[in-house]
This record gives sequence, structure tokens and C-alpha cells, in this order.
Amino acid sequence: MDMIVHPALLFLALAIGGVGVALSIPRRRFQASLVGGIIAATGVGLLIVGLGGSALSGDGTLPSPVFHVLAIIALGSCLQVITHRRPVYAALYFILSILATAGLYILLAAEFMAFALVIIYAGAILITYLFVIMLASQSQVEGQEEGLAEYDAVGRGPITATVASFALLAALTVLVFSGLKDIPAPDAARVAAAEMAVLDRLPGKVEKALAREGLIESGEIVVGVEEAQGVATAVVRGIGGGQRRVALPESVSVTNTEGLAFNLLGDYPGTIEIAGVILLMAMLGAVVLARKFAQIDEEAKAAAAAALAEGSTTGGQGHA
Amino acid sequence: MLDLFLAQSAFPQAMGQGVLAHYLFVSAAMFTLGLVGFLTRRNLIIMFLCTEMMFQAAGIALVAFSRYHLNYDGQTFVIFVLTVAAAEAALALALVVFLFRKRDSLSAEAWLEMKG
Amino acid sequence: MTMFAGTLPTLLAAADGPFIATGSAPQWVALMPGLPLLGAALCVLFACLNVKSKLPGYATVALLAGGFVTALAAFLQGPDGYGVATIFRWIHASIGADADASITANFGFYMDGLSMLWMLFVTGLATVIGLYSTEYVASDKGLGYCRFFFAFNLFVFSMASLVMADNLLLLFLGWEGVGLCSYLLIGYFYKKPEAVAAAKKAFIINRIGDLGLLMAIGATFVVFGTLEFRPLFEMIAQGVDGKGQAIGHTWVVVVIPLLLTAGAFGKSAQLFFYVWLPDAMEGPTPVSALIHAATMVTAGVYLIARMFPLYAADDAMVALTVVAWCGAITAFWAATIEFAQYDIKRIMGYSTISQLGFMFAGLGLLGTTGAVFHVFTHAFFKATLFLCCGAVMHGFGGQLSLRRLSGVMWMKGFGITGVCMFIGCLSLSGVPFTAGFFSKDMILAQAFATPDEMIGGATFIGLLLLLTATMTAYYTFRVFFRVFVGPRHFEPGEDDHGHDDGLGHDAHAHHHHNPTEEEEGDALHTGFHPHAPGWAMNGAMVLLAVGTILVASLYFVNKKEDHGWAGTMVRHSTAAYPSPGLAHGKDKPAATTVEPLPLGAPAPEHGQAGKPHAKAGTFLGQDPFKIMYYVSAVLGLIGILAAAWFHAPKGAWGLGIGNRELPSKVRMDAVAARFGPIPKWAENKWYVDELYHAIIVKPLLVLSHVFHAFDKLVIDGLVDLVGALPRWLGTLLRPSQSGVLHGYATGMVAGSAVLIVLVVLVAMWS
Repeated sequence: MDMIVHPALLFLALAIGGVGVALSIPRRRFQASLVGGIIAATGVGLLIVGLGGSALSGDGTLPSPVFHVLAIIALGSCLQVITHRRPVYAALYFILSILATAGLYILLAAEFMAFALVIIYAGAILITYLFVIMLASQSQVEGQEEGLAEYDAVGRGPITATVASFALLAALTVLVFSGLKDIPAPDAARVAAAEMAVLDRLPGKVEKALAREGLIESGEIVVGVEEAQGVATAVVRGIGGGQRRVALPESVSVTNTEGLAFNLLGDYPGTIEIAGVILLMAMLGAVVLARKFAQIDEEAKAAAAAALAEGSTTGGQGHA
Repeated sequence: MLDLFLAQSAFPQAMGQGVLAHYLFVSAAMFTLGLVGFLTRRNLIIMFLCTEMMFQAAGIALVAFSRYHLNYDGQTFVIFVLTVAAAEAALALALVVFLFRKRDSLSAEAWLEMKG
Repeated sequence: MTMFAGTLPTLLAAADGPFIATGSAPQWVALMPGLPLLGAALCVLFACLNVKSKLPGYATVALLAGGFVTALAAFLQGPDGYGVATIFRWIHASIGADADASITANFGFYMDGLSMLWMLFVTGLATVIGLYSTEYVASDKGLGYCRFFFAFNLFVFSMASLVMADNLLLLFLGWEGVGLCSYLLIGYFYKKPEAVAAAKKAFIINRIGDLGLLMAIGATFVVFGTLEFRPLFEMIAQGVDGKGQAIGHTWVVVVIPLLLTAGAFGKSAQLFFYVWLPDAMEGPTPVSALIHAATMVTAGVYLIARMFPLYAADDAMVALTVVAWCGAITAFWAATIEFAQYDIKRIMGYSTISQLGFMFAGLGLLGTTGAVFHVFTHAFFKATLFLCCGAVMHGFGGQLSLRRLSGVMWMKGFGITGVCMFIGCLSLSGVPFTAGFFSKDMILAQAFATPDEMIGGATFIGLLLLLTATMTAYYTFRVFFRVFVGPRHFEPGEDDHGHDDGLGHDAHAHHHHNPTEEEEGDALHTGFHPHAPGWAMNGAMVLLAVGTILVASLYFVNKKEDHGWAGTMVRHSTAAYPSPGLAHGKDKPAATTVEPLPLGAPAPEHGQAGKPHAKAGTFLGQDPFKIMYYVSAVLGLIGILAAAWFHAPKGAWGLGIGNRELPSKVRMDAVAARFGPIPKWAENKWYVDELYHAIIVKPLLVLSHVFHAFDKLVIDGLVDLVGALPRWLGTLLRPSQSGVLHGYATGMVAGSAVLIVLVVLVAMWS
């Protein structure tokens, strides 16, 4: 099988990573978080080196060093999430991993998703988790180590779990690394056409940009964007009513948010509705589930109702 | 220099397959960490946290593919993943609270009714 | 050989050989089986309505009488009415891809002389015996009464289907139907273990014979490609099978007849199979009279007579020789057993076996006319005898032993019974000018007329049958002299009423008040009064006795042309055969050269090449059919005189030579004492039942135990193993079901990994 990383290197790196993860998992006797973390980082580093080497010998492009920093932060904080004995810390490390992931999104030119992730995950979901952790934490039990509950202090079957999970990881990475070369490169013409279709629906934006560049007179209106002789041009209507074409400068491009907005709202309107319904149902379900079932005594209720009726009648008499 | 640090190549310039491989590896590793966490941790809340981690890993892969293909569909899908994750978080936490009230414990091993 | 079944008696008379009815019979002949079927349905209805009167019985009698009238009407049509009447299409199925390979069996009736003759006595006797039964089982009014008449009707329906069937499949349906009804009626007193055992025995032994019949039917279909009588007999008459190949010297004419014979012997209680019939006497007496004496047991005779062309198609006459010998041996064997029996009903049962042996011997000796005539006369006189025995049994609380009854005829109310019994005994003994005399003579004479070259040992068979006839006269009158005449004496049986097992006795309370009978009773049984038969039983007995007398006259109908009325009927049927010395037709003198094989196309001509000619035999240098009158009369009288000497009381009814004074002390006792243990062996039926038990039942029991053990150990063990395996596996796998979420999740993850690895491996390979 032709893989971009040599299989021996891949499996070695995965094995080292697995040993590191297994070591970091809390146990009854010990927890080698630091050692485990270092070992796991070694494994990850090994693989990233291998990947980088293959990338250089391939198309020659490497991710920026920022990627490496963010990847280390994300994976390291994820390791902390699953190994830290204190749930609150785990949740906080998870927020850190979300922030690192958001950084990765920015590197991937997905600014909107990066901020959405931070707002929704770090800001909303994880805060809810923190609330629940604090709400549901057990009262301190005497004799327990550092006031930790036993189920937090000791992991369950670390070796089995690690072996199973890393077997899956090995299978996944083998698939990905061997099948990557079959993924076609994007079709530039189609991408350009899609971008022009978005710009066509944003004549105001184009008009402002062209005006800033001084390519159109004030009073002229951009009515659309279309291709002419292989070049993207803006169709400009003059004051007198005549039309002309203006080639779009480099600076006029679709931002991530604009593209995503048109994609989301233009192509998936029904799915948005369904997502809304799912959120609504989840909210209702959560309310129903988390509600404390108040045991209202039927007799007491009847007595209360009778007393109320009594009161109203006596009240009436009193008034009379 | 800053350019070099901020982006591999400017949008809509295509991203190389080697770069995509890096992101996919990060995604797979994060997914596996979430899996290990789900399998080893016994606290119900942390277990759900680990599922969120797996969601996030899937999100990285989707966004990376979106970037590679210069196509917004991947990011759109991440929005829906976020939606489902939020819904799941709400229900899961409600369930956790409900179960905690029943057993006064967050341990997943407090529930062994399926024992064979 | 196709012949027009019209009014051409001379043409018909000139030709011997199977007569194939080619016309169409009227549809209303279906009333003969149809009315009894309606009666059966009515009995079910009566049972549902919980009728507690004699209504089911009378309804049955009325419907059966309707059937008899139908039979008479069909008979009066003469040969014009012979043919096939198809009532509805029953089975019609293509077999295989070949379009003309099909099996057809209609619910249709084949009417010719043979089925007509059978239907006359079946419906007639069924009516009279039904009338008798209305009184006989009256103590059982209610559900039991309905059950009895339901089975009775169903029997008549089945018998009619058997006899009138126009194909072998319908015949088989009727065959099994009568077997079923026989089973139901023998076991009528189902609370009595002997009756239940007897019913089972009859049913099981019949099954063995039925297997032969079934195989014969299968073989017939394979060979001839049809089961319908008309095409079948046309093929046989031309001597070819379904593919046009000659059957003359093939296995077909030996094996199929032998298989048919097995079926016939089972149903008719012949050699090896006869043991069920004596036990079947446990059933109610009318059943014994109708089914086990007059009709059902003659089905075997009918079967062979019906398929006679197939038997006669064999030049070597193998199957017919077997039939003749087995019949003669059975006749003699059963007679020896009767010598030492004391149960009068069982004596009649063995007598039936013996007489059936005569009929089979007659068939085997090529004397179809004599055999069929004997079936007809035997039906009358044996039914009479049984009904009289039934009346005695009914009257004396189920007492059947001839040691404990004497002078019954002189008791009040039993006079008619005695007279009828006397008439029946005369006929059975073959006293001159009785029905039995003529019919038995034909068989006896045929034995000597048939040359030994055609049927091996025919003369010896004749001598054996003559001896048996003498013995028959002896044992018949032994019963009469001991039970019906002499000093009045009786010891009542254990049953309050016949074999009714105390199912209900209120119906007979009115019979028990006659004070004049008290002095006749034994001092020991002062509380018991014999109850004489009522009008229905007496009427039935008288009707049958008169019938017994009258059927003798049938011998003289068409005497010149056909040797009696039975001959006319047989000549218009497939059983038609030029019996040696008894050729039909005016222009054919008796004792002439005959062709043993009249079959084959073209129409037979005298002196045809390859056909052996045999001269009809003689007896004492005379025509056997003439001299046999005198011989058998003398032998019969000798038998009767011997019975009188050994068993008869003093006085006129002892013919002046009897000396019996005490009921149970006779001259015969001294003679029997001289023979040592032999009379005891005979009384125990030569231990045949015990022999069968030892060589068949016991090994089967042992085998069944072996199978039971095998079943228990191996089969059950396997099943238990199958049951235990999942349990054991479950014990192994149960720990994995810890109930903890993590365990399941780990399994899921590992499973996914394995699946992906498998997919990768498969992708790599391909």
C-alpha cells in the first residue's frame, strides 16, 4: 500500500503515542501525566516530522509553524481533558483545546467558524458543563484522596481502551494516508464561477470597491458580475443608461462570512429549519428531564382548593 | 513574515495535500483521545465532554476539507454539527442531572441494570 | 372385446369372456351410496340435537330401504342400465410434462352384473339388519345410538362406493371406508378392553392386506396408465398394457394379481390374515351379521371377481392357483377350530372364514359363477344365523356358551328365533334344496370339473372341500342341537344386556315381568328373566329366513342358459369366464373342450394356435355338476347325523339317536378325551394368535424398545445438546455483559477497528 508516511513509522509513532496516553490515564496507585504526556508528544512529533518530510518531497508545501504550535496546544489540552482527575479542570482544558481549534480554523481561512466555535462551544456549551459539574459534584467523603470521588480518581481499563482506540486510529490513519492522493484538486474554473455568482449577488460591495479603486465614476451603478473573455468583469450602468464592463481588480473577493452565508442560507434553508426544530426539542427535553418532580399530594391539593373555596364564600359573606 | 505565520497560502489559493494530511492527522488524533477518554473516564459529565471532543475532531476534518476543496459545504456542515452538539449537550446534561438525583453519584458504573 | 350391452341376449350368450359395460348408467344409481351418506349426516345432526329416541334408527332404515328400492329399480332395467355413471370429476391431474400422462379418477359408478348383484344384497341386508339393530342397541339410546347408526350408514356408503366404483381409486376409498367403519363398529363398546383390542387388531391386520392392494393399484397405474375400469378392461381383454405391449407372459399378470390377493385376503380374513375376524365378534351382533358375515368380508371376493380378467390373463394361472389353495386350506383350517369352540358367535365367525374359503376356492378354480352365487346365498343364511345368535345373546345377558344354554327354542318368545336358526343351519349345512346346497355344490363340482393341468391340485382341493363341507354340517348342527333343542336350561351371561356393558338398561325393563319363565330359570338366577326379541328383531329374522329359502330358487332362474340367476349376472360382468364344464349358453354343452385363455385379440376362435386345450374333469366318472347333488347331500346328512349322535337330546329332535340329557354333558366329551390335548389345542385356535404374538408382535415390541432407547439417548441427547450449547456459550460470554457502558463502548470501538481493517485488507487484495 502506498502511503505518504512509511507504515513502520506510522505504527511506531502510534504505538509510542498509545503508550503515552495509557500512562497518563489516572490509576489507583499512580498517574504519570507528565511522563505520559511527553511520550505521547514524542509519538505525535515523530509522525508530524514524517508527514512534513513527505509533504516537502511531495508538492513542497508545509503548514505554517503556527499550525504546529496550535496542534500541540490542542492535542495537549485534549490529553489533559481525558486524564485530569478534577472535572472542572478537565472542562477548562477543553476550553483551551477549543481555542486552539479555533486558531486552526483561522489558519484554514474559516474565520466565521472559528468565532462561532469560540462563542458557541467555549462560551455556551462548556459553561453549561461547568455549571452542571459544580451542581452535581458529590459532597466530600472522608478518607478519599484530595476530596476526589473514586470514579474521578481512577480510570477504567486504560490499557484495553487505549489499545482499542489506537487500533481504530491506526486503521483510520492508514486509510487516510493511503487514500489522500486520490482526492482531486479543486477545479479553479468552478471555484471562480462560484465566487462570481456570489459577487453577482453583492453589487453594492463591488461598486464600493470599484469606486475606491477609482474605476467607476460616482453615479455609475454596478448591476452584476459576469465573465467576459475569460476575465471576471463588473457590468456597470452609466448615468445616461449605457452599460460598460469593468474588469474586477484583485482586491475584490468574497470573504469567508459572505461565502458561508450564501452557502448556508442559499443551499440549505430546509436543513436550518430542521436544526431549529432539533434545538427546540432538545430544550423541551432538557426542561422535562431536569425538572424536579414535585410530589403534590392530591388530598392536600383538594383540601387547599376546599379551603380556598371556603375562604371565598366566607369572604363573600363578610362583605355582605 | 507574518504572512508566513498566519496562512499557508492565501484564500482562494489551493492548499497542498501534505498540509491537508497534517490537519487530518490532528483530527484523527483528537478523535482518538476523545475515544480513550470516553472509554476510561467514569464520570458521566467527562464522558459527555469526550463526545464533544470527538465532535470537534470531526469539525477540524470538515473545515480542512472545505479549505482544500475551496468549497463552503464543509463549514456549513460544521454549523449543523455544532447545532447537534449543543442539543446533545443540553439533553445529556439534563440526563446527568436526572441520574445524579437518582443515585447521588455521577459514576457510569452506578447503572448496571443491563448486566447479563 | 367390446360388446353392446343391449337387448341381445343370444349374442351375449354366445360369447364367453369379460363383459365390458360400454353404455352409460342412469345418474340416479348414485342414490345407492347417496342415501346412506345422507343418513350418516342425519345421524350427526341427531347427535347434535341430542335425540334420545329411536329416530336415528328408523331414519336409517327408511333411507337404506330407499337405497334397496334404487338397487331394485336399477336391477329391473336389466343390461340396459349397465354402464358408467359419472357423478362428478373427483381427481384429474396431469403427471409430469407429458400432456397425456394424467391420472383420472372420477366419482363415478360402474354398473354391471357383478356390482348389481352385490348392491342388491348389500342394500337389502343392510335394511333388514338396520331394522334389527333399532331394537338391538336400543339400550344405548342417545349419543351411542346415533354413533352406531352413523357408522352403520357410513359403512353402507363405503361398501356401495367399493362395489360400484368405476376406478380403482374410488374402490380403494370404499375399501378403506369399510375398514374404518368396521373398526368403529367392532369397538362400539369402547369401554370394553376386548372390544377395543379386537377393533385395533382388525384394523392393523387389514392394513397389511391394504398395503398389497395399494401396491397393486400403483402397479396397475404404472403398467396400464389408467385406473378406470373400462379402459383398463379393454386393454386386458386385448392382452396389452398401456404402451401396447403384450402382458400375457410378463410379471404383470402374476405380481399384480398376487398383490390384489393380499388385499382381498386381508379384508376377507383368509389364510394368515384370518385372526382378526373371530375377535371382531366382540362388536354388536348386527354388525357381525352385516359387516363380518354378509358384506364387508365378501369385498375380497368381489375384488378378485372384478379383476378376474387380469387373473385369467396368465396362462400358468399362478395367482388363481394360490387363491384356490389358500381358500381351501382356510376353509378346512377354520372348520377344525370350530370343532372345539363353545362360543356360538365365534363358531359363526369361524364358519364365515370357512365359507369365505369356499368362495375363494371357487374363484381360484375358475368357477366365478359358483363363487358369486355362494357369496349371495351365504350373505342371507349367515346373516340369519348371526341375527339368531344375537337374539339369544340379547335375551340371555350376553351368554354365548353352548355349554350353558339348552332348549332355547322352547322358551317363551324364542320360537321364531329357533325356527329361523333351523332354516339357517339347514342352508349352511347344505341340506338339499336349500340355498347353501346349490351354491356350495357349484364350487365343489367345479373343483372336479377344472382339470388339474389348469389349476394344480384341483382334485385334491375338491376332496378337501368335501371333507370341510361334512365338517360344516357337523358343527352347524352341533350348535343347533345343543342350544336350541333339548331340556330347557340357561345361565345368564355377565352382561345385563348383550354386550352392552351396562351403558343403559332402562329400555328393557318392560321385558322382565313374565312370571311363567321363572320356573325355567336356574335356581341360581332367580332374579334374571330372559327377554325375548321384539317385533323388529323377529321381523328381521323372519325376513332373512324367508329370503334364505327364496334365494334357493334363483338357482333355477335361467338354469339352462346360465346355470342360475347368478350366472346371468356374472355373464354380464368382468367376472364372466367360461368355467370348465360350465360353459354358458344353450348351444354349448357342458363338459366340453374349453379354452383356458379366452382373452386376446382378435376374438377367440376354436383351435387357436398356442392355446392348450384341456378336457373338463369328471367326478366318479360322471359330470361333476350332476353327481355332486347326491354326493354333497349324503355328506351333509352324515355330518348332521354325527352332530345328532354326539350332541342331540333324546327325542324327535335328536333324530332318535341323541341321548343328551344334561346341557353340558354329551357323547362327544368321551371322544374328545381320547384325543388327549388336541381338542384343547383346537379350542385355543391352534395357538395361531400366540404364534403371531411370538414371531411378529414380540420382535416388534423389542424393536420398539430399541428405538425408544435410541430416541432417548441419541435423538434426545442431540436435542439436549443443541439446547445446552447456547447455555454453555452464554456462561462463557456472560461476563462480557457487565452492564457498564464502557464495556459496550470498547466492544464497539474494537469492532469498528476490525471492520475497517477488514475493508482495507479486502481493498488491498482486489
